[in-house]
Amino acid sequence: MTFFRITLVRSAIGLPRKTRDVLKALGIRKRMGTVYHPVSADVAGQIMKIKELVAVSEVEKALTKQEEKAKRTPDAGYYIETRAGEQRELY
Amino acid sequence: MLGPFRASAPRLGGLLWKIPWRLSAMQKARQRKRLRAVDHVVAVVDKALATKGITTKSLERWKTEMPTEQEMLPKDKYTIFDRKEKTYRKGIHKLPKWTRVSQRLNPPGF
Repeated sequence: MTFFRITLVRSAIGLPRKTRDVLKALGIRKRMGTVYHPVSADVAGQIMKIKELVAVSEVEKALTKQEEKAKRTPDAGYYIETRAGEQRELY
Repeated sequence: MLGPFRASAPRLGGLLWKIPWRLSAMQKARQRKRLRAVDHVVAVVDKALATKGITTKSLERWKTEMPTEQEMLPKDKYTIFDRKEKTYRKGIHKLPKWTRVSQRLNPPGF
């Protein structure tokens, strides 16, 4: 099963109510917000309504919100060898 | 003379908007980029549906009626039909929300 990965790139501010309602129906709340929907004729029709506003790609797996976040979070740059609590037990 | 309340022609005389009559080269480049972005979205949706063997009416209509960015004439990319203009054409940037709507076809012969 494949999915459409839909990202809102252009804001729908000032556009007709119908256009904004399509975004609402797809579950896109704000610009750069990403949603996944299974490939189907009705989702394709919805994408055609907002094709000027979104970036779309076809993916194999739908990521959760947490996985999306992890994907764009940079590496922390450090790792924890021992925790403070463990250290305290040694004293 | 500077600041938010400075006297200038638009502020003193009421409605005087200075929208240039033609697009700059950069605006035209961005317009082409937007047209290609829409073409790309349509292509992705078309490919995804084709692999599943389904289709939808709005997609089929778009594919038969609308030219792609490469097929469009420069005239249609940057200008739009207007019956009130002397040359029947005005810059596409006069179209409200022109960066977020698809305006590709014009009346035949104009």
